[in-house]
Amino acid sequence: MKNFSIKPPQVIILIFLIVLIGLAYVLQMDLIVLFNESLIKLVMNGVLVLSLIPMLNAGAGMNFGLPVGITGGLVGLCIAVNFRLTGFSGFFMSLLLSVPICGMLGWLYGLILNRVKGREEIAGTFIGFSVIPLMNYFWTLAPFQNRQMLYPIGGQGLRPKISLEPYFYNVLDQFCLIKIGGIEIPLGLLAFYGLICLFLYLFFRSKVGRAIIATGENEAFSKLSGIDIAGIRLIAVILSTILAGIGICVYSQSYGFIQLYDEPLSMYFPAISAVLIGGSTGRRTYIFEAVLGAYLLQTIYLLTVPIANQILIPEVTEILRTLITYSIILYALLYRDKRGIVH
Amino acid sequence: MEIKNLSKRYNGIPALTNISLSVKAGEIHGIVGANGSGKSTLLNILSGSPLIRETGGYHGEISFAGNRVNLKNCAEAIRMGIGMVHQEFALLPDLTIAENIKLSREHTHKFTDRLFGPKYSFIDRKRNDESAARILQKLRLHLDVDVKIINLSTNTRQFVEIARVIDRTDLKLLLLDEPTAVLSRDDGLNLIAVFREMAQNGLGILFISHRLEEMQQICDRVTVFRDGAIVSSYEQGEISIKNLARDMIGHTVHKATAPKREIKARPAISFQQFSVKMPGEEINGLDLTVFEGEILGLTSLSGHGKLALGYGVMGMYPTGGEVIYENKKIDRMDAKANILNGIYVLPDDRQALGILPEHSLADNIIFTGNQIKNLFSINFGRPFSGFIDRKKANAHVHQLVRNFEIKCASLKQKSKELSGGNQQKVCIARALTLNPKLLIVAEPTRGIDISAKEKILQMLLDINRTNHTTIVIASSELDELKRVCDRIAVMVDGKIFKILLPDASETEFGLALAGEEGTKNEEF
Repeated sequence: MKNFSIKPPQVIILIFLIVLIGLAYVLQMDLIVLFNESLIKLVMNGVLVLSLIPMLNAGAGMNFGLPVGITGGLVGLCIAVNFRLTGFSGFFMSLLLSVPICGMLGWLYGLILNRVKGREEIAGTFIGFSVIPLMNYFWTLAPFQNRQMLYPIGGQGLRPKISLEPYFYNVLDQFCLIKIGGIEIPLGLLAFYGLICLFLYLFFRSKVGRAIIATGENEAFSKLSGIDIAGIRLIAVILSTILAGIGICVYSQSYGFIQLYDEPLSMYFPAISAVLIGGSTGRRTYIFEAVLGAYLLQTIYLLTVPIANQILIPEVTEILRTLITYSIILYALLYRDKRGIVH
Repeated sequence: MEIKNLSKRYNGIPALTNISLSVKAGEIHGIVGANGSGKSTLLNILSGSPLIRETGGYHGEISFAGNRVNLKNCAEAIRMGIGMVHQEFALLPDLTIAENIKLSREHTHKFTDRLFGPKYSFIDRKRNDESAARILQKLRLHLDVDVKIINLSTNTRQFVEIARVIDRTDLKLLLLDEPTAVLSRDDGLNLIAVFREMAQNGLGILFISHRLEEMQQICDRVTVFRDGAIVSSYEQGEISIKNLARDMIGHTVHKATAPKREIKARPAISFQQFSVKMPGEEINGLDLTVFEGEILGLTSLSGHGKLALGYGVMGMYPTGGEVIYENKKIDRMDAKANILNGIYVLPDDRQALGILPEHSLADNIIFTGNQIKNLFSINFGRPFSGFIDRKKANAHVHQLVRNFEIKCASLKQKSKELSGGNQQKVCIARALTLNPKLLIVAEPTRGIDISAKEKILQMLLDINRTNHTTIVIASSELDELKRVCDRIAVMVDGKIFKILLPDASETEFGLALAGEEGTKNEEF
């Protein structure tokens, strides 16, 4: 049933990647360090990329409303930090808190998406945009007590960047870290990622999962087969939102900071970019495609920054990063439409 | 038009080999053949389809009006006066009928013509509408030309598609790829009369169809294709359905027929003042009782509501009235509840509603049974329920594939890769998996080649006889209904007009379909 063929976007990205690795070698960078970094980057962003899959499979398109799930996850993180939980207890508490919060948010989000069937992507974009200012109020007004989270002056309102260093920074990255020579393999992190992949894999083999895929492929057929379309789509949206919440928890513990306020808006383009690079065409997406896409995109990010710094002026890195993300989405959208006509 | 030694290969696989035929002006030349015998490839070549060039072009000679031509693209074909009516519709759903027919040939206001040039001038809507209405009248169709395509039934769309092509005044050769496949019988006959008329005015027509009777009626010559080569060719007068069918398949077709029988049983389902708001196929106050164990045929002209019954029961469109199933009233037309109660519906639009194109054949067959009735699932107890027991499922699918002779490479083949007939078999296999007590099938044989058709009718008969499934077949193929049904209900304007026995005469059916009271002798 699976039929992976290398398509133009992957070819371009692969060529780009090879050129970059070549450049890095010529510039005498430490390739092993870069490889170690790439594994961490994969998981750091990979869960967010995986979170797109349920909605893609349900035919609800790419989740441009990813900020909904992300803010849910951030709330969980903030509460965990507020109680000064450290290490694994902090990380898992934030996961535990984000799941129900994201579930609630996803339920509301799904109800809205069910009313705009066929235009989920654009509706999601604007829902994402409108969640941000709402949550901005929350961040400033919520009664958090931990001084390290609050603005130093005035003592009210959360800081835009909350350091996780004293709490659970890198708790997953450092768990079961295996060192072979210079190569470091973050086994715990990869295992966590693998578990989520496994969960998704099993989920789409379950009855509900198969109903989701069928609904995404042919909604009228599913309806005629007695499937509750609205309910099935709701489940997919909720699952996507919960995974996004987990995704941001993993991301933050790797990154070392909780980024609040407008920051969630900069998270969803790279994720969508990644899943498109992996070979998704905006419809049914396989887990393998999400993993591959996340790895390729993040590795390119990782390589461009030092290389651009070395051969170009330093400020160019951020420009390049944005350019790659956006142009890949644009390219993939063009590519997807072409496929649609042929089909 | 002359064709000599035409050959075409797709990736090394021959699709056409050494085809030679000719179409004279004023002649209707018919081509018949089973699915995949190369008919469509021939038309693609003649209409200059880019698909042909992309796959390596063709060999052989084509001459048009005495000159040798090399058809490279559609524009060239159109310039020479070749028009093609496609099997799939190429209409813009959001434009009105008139706009579709006159697209790119609109009448414009003279004044603005001079002011802005013809490309940017204003369209004269009134004249457009008039001229479109004239064309439709030629097709004996009385329609409001301001209706949008999206609101039309499949039948009417086909007419609009044809109207679009025959509106061209420079037309010399018309290529028709199964224009009547989606039409009901009478609409088909109607259309054929129009084609005859056009041929008499000097138009050459190349006509492809599955319906052999049509061929017999309309064509001056018929050529039979099999596996990309010409098998035989008949002049008018020597055309016989039997010969055509034999040459097409390579062996004679065994026709599915059911012996006559009397059904005296309890009612399985009865509709009282039932109505379904399906655009273009409305049911309006239907009163019908279907008895347990019978096969009931449901027929009507297109647009009179025969297709809406199944959709209505499954809650796809808003409904009204009462439905009593097994002595209980169905309150809400809910697909899941109805499937659990033993009702299943197979839709007429296979591509859009009947299959999951990207799923494997096996998944297509077991999907509904698994989702609704939990068949073939391994039960680990909640929340781990619902994984498929592949071994059990495959054994079941394997048996169905063998019984129904579904032609496929493997059980894992994607269903979109199957032919229409095999897709329909997959649909019926899915229904059988559910083991329903009442099965409502719409147009089971539409767009399917003749041998697969008989197989499908036989399948329905077998299901009825061995599982005692009550079956309602909504179809416009009266001939098929007469062979398999116990009773045939004729619908007019969304109501049951008359219920006839299958051995009633053609004229009686004809009168009933038209809504005329004939001689009253077969009242039921």
